[in-house]
Amino acid sequence: MEAMPCQNQRLGPRPQDEQPPPTATATTGSGSRLIRFAEPGEDSGCPSPDSSSSSNGVAAAAIPAGEGGATPIGPQLKLLPMNDQLRELQTIIRDKKSSRGDFVFSADRLIRLVVEEGLNQLPYTECTVTTPTGHKYEGVRFEKGNCGVSIMRSGEAMEQGLRDCCRSIRIGKILIQSDEETQRAKVYYAKFPPDIYRRKVLLMYPILSTGNTVIEAVKVLVEHGVQPSVIILLSLFSTPHGAKSIIQEFPEITILTTEVHPVAPTHFGQKYFGTD
Amino acid sequence: MSSPPAFSSVRISGCWALGPDGGSSAESLDRLYPAVGSTKPPRKRTTSQCKSEPPLLRTSKRTIYTAGRPPWYNEHGTQSKEAFVIGLGGGSASGKTTVATMIIEALDVPWVVLLSMDSFYKVLTKQQQEQAASNDFNFDHPDAFDFDLIIATLKKLKQGKSVKIPIYDFTTHSRKKEWKTLYGANVIIFEGIMAFADKELLKLLDLKIFVDTDSDIRLVRRLRRDISERGRDIEGVIKQYNKFVKPAFDQYIQPTMRLADIVVPRGSGNTVAIDLIVQHVHSQLEERELSVRAALASAHQCHPLPQTLSVLKSTPQVRGMHTIIRNKETSRDEFIFYSKRLMRLLIEHALSLLPFQSCTVQTPQGQDYEGRTYSGKQITGVSILRAGETMEPALRAVCKDVRIGTILIQTNCNTGEPELHYLRLPKDISEDHVILMDCTVSTGAAAMMAVRVLLDHDVPEDKIFLLSLLMAEMGVHSVAYAFPRVKIITTAVDKKVNDLFRIIPGIGNFGDRYFGTDAPPDWSDDEDALST
Repeated sequence: MEAMPCQNQRLGPRPQDEQPPPTATATTGSGSRLIRFAEPGEDSGCPSPDSSSSSNGVAAAAIPAGEGGATPIGPQLKLLPMNDQLRELQTIIRDKKSSRGDFVFSADRLIRLVVEEGLNQLPYTECTVTTPTGHKYEGVRFEKGNCGVSIMRSGEAMEQGLRDCCRSIRIGKILIQSDEETQRAKVYYAKFPPDIYRRKVLLMYPILSTGNTVIEAVKVLVEHGVQPSVIILLSLFSTPHGAKSIIQEFPEITILTTEVHPVAPTHFGQKYFGTD
Repeated sequence: MSSPPAFSSVRISGCWALGPDGGSSAESLDRLYPAVGSTKPPRKRTTSQCKSEPPLLRTSKRTIYTAGRPPWYNEHGTQSKEAFVIGLGGGSASGKTTVATMIIEALDVPWVVLLSMDSFYKVLTKQQQEQAASNDFNFDHPDAFDFDLIIATLKKLKQGKSVKIPIYDFTTHSRKKEWKTLYGANVIIFEGIMAFADKELLKLLDLKIFVDTDSDIRLVRRLRRDISERGRDIEGVIKQYNKFVKPAFDQYIQPTMRLADIVVPRGSGNTVAIDLIVQHVHSQLEERELSVRAALASAHQCHPLPQTLSVLKSTPQVRGMHTIIRNKETSRDEFIFYSKRLMRLLIEHALSLLPFQSCTVQTPQGQDYEGRTYSGKQITGVSILRAGETMEPALRAVCKDVRIGTILIQTNCNTGEPELHYLRLPKDISEDHVILMDCTVSTGAAAMMAVRVLLDHDVPEDKIFLLSLLMAEMGVHSVAYAFPRVKIITTAVDKKVNDLFRIIPGIGNFGDRYFGTDAPPDWSDDEDALST
């Protein structure tokens, strides 16, 4: 692999407002070694839009046309490559007629895909291994020093997905509730791994509506010594407003989501946990 | 045949079955003929479910079933030669079945199907049923058989397709609800009293054998069989014989003797005749032998990879997982964990290539949402044993209640050719999208055989998705060349295949690494204890 880690080498030739093509066409090459690199942590803060709308993989900052916000929000916001399968999962989650079983099943599948994509944002190094046939394989190795943080309670729905991919990853928790009188998000509880300040953080919260909850959570993380630039926010759905607010407050953060739409499926947590 | 046999089943060549075969369920069951040399006759007339021992070859390390079905198609994926059909005619109780058994035993080839005309009796009306009850219905007349169905069935079977055979119930004189599926014959033996009674049917028979046994011997056999085995009284049997069986023989059966290529006098006692027949069939089969893998290895290299191939995007995670599972130092625990993760991504990717249609749903937020929904009938998984089996959990994790069939294909150590050993598919898969799973595809020989099996079961080519964790370019080319509409989906394509048909650099033997059957003797079990 040619691309060095920790640099955004691939320039995005695609116009920003275009939806990424289905993955099928992009990948038919023979053993294509196209490596999309995305490492937010070491990047010098806020990369210019040009350098980060990667040509393959996550579409940065591209809000699909006709899907709400017309203005690009920023390279910090990355969307999963859209395909019909993903859209079907979103449809089931949004459909009010979906049974809870189907809802949870689809949500878990979508979460798994977001987590897998989120892990792609983490740093790695080149390495060579020997296969059982005695030949060399040039691969990559992921670095240690990551952790997950879920924002209770709906963020907890994403913990299992992370756990299914990283069996022994440390997971911290933050409990944030809206104050009934002021409608302000208020932190009630936070518990992190002690050395969180030197880890990359996968922050989990499925629905970004106003963004206030996440902003409060990131503030807590910053208080614990975490740089916003090493935080990758994993979410399923976002409103343009929510994503914008978060990026305004913390321009160095990376947000990963599957859809930016003015209407957020705010019933997510209740339906997932059956508390509706 | 005026005395309907007391059994009601399709007669097929000696079979062994893996797993519980209910017989009633219409899954595809493939019959292997056991190797010759067993002292017991492997097949009994009165059952289609005899559990004779499968032909086995045990080495110190593994057990090999020796009678798999070698390729019946060429490197283009099409069936190059039709199955060889032997028609076996003769009067009632002339010993047709015994002759058939002897031919099968002497042939010693796998994948012989014995098809009996008894399965194709027409369904009787109420009035006819009453006649039958009082021995007044003429079962020995061509009109009693459903020749259209026989011809259609034989034609399909000859083309290598899967067919459904009715199961005739001789107590109610109707067909049972569940039909039996027959598939995969290189040799078909079709036997019945009226085997040569239809011109159209005659054209399908490659070799016509008439078993000629003296009428007094046949009558004695009938008396013995019907009275001692079927509990009939002597008056009824004789009445039937005089009224139907004898006239039918003289009028419809005896005259067809001149149509036969070979007449076997004295039936099963005539070993010379049977030897001659077997020699002839063998020479016919030799002409049909195919060597697919060699043809694959030499064909169509250096072409650009086909359009139907879709490789999972090589993200850092995908490469990282490949690095782990390809590394020979990787523990089995990690190997399993990361290959499963990769399979999950592969299957999610494959599902995104299914056809979808737009739909509008209502959201709890009060606004409609333009979504997408799968537009096919349903998805069925088929795993190629053994390694393909490991992908089943990943498929189940993303497709609720998915039906999964299995195909066992093993490489013949002597010829290097893949052989089909066992097959169990969900019924009525022809309208489904079929996810065909195998972990690695090197030359593509096994994958092609599996695709061929699906096509023989009427699955349209463009509804087959071949999924694999790792493929060699050769395998991609072979499959795409033979089946240009099959979608090929994988996570990586390696350039080369070595002399042993292993992918280079590859992943090793996936099944052995996953199931731990490659463990050296000094392997410690500690690792198993640690894995969670």
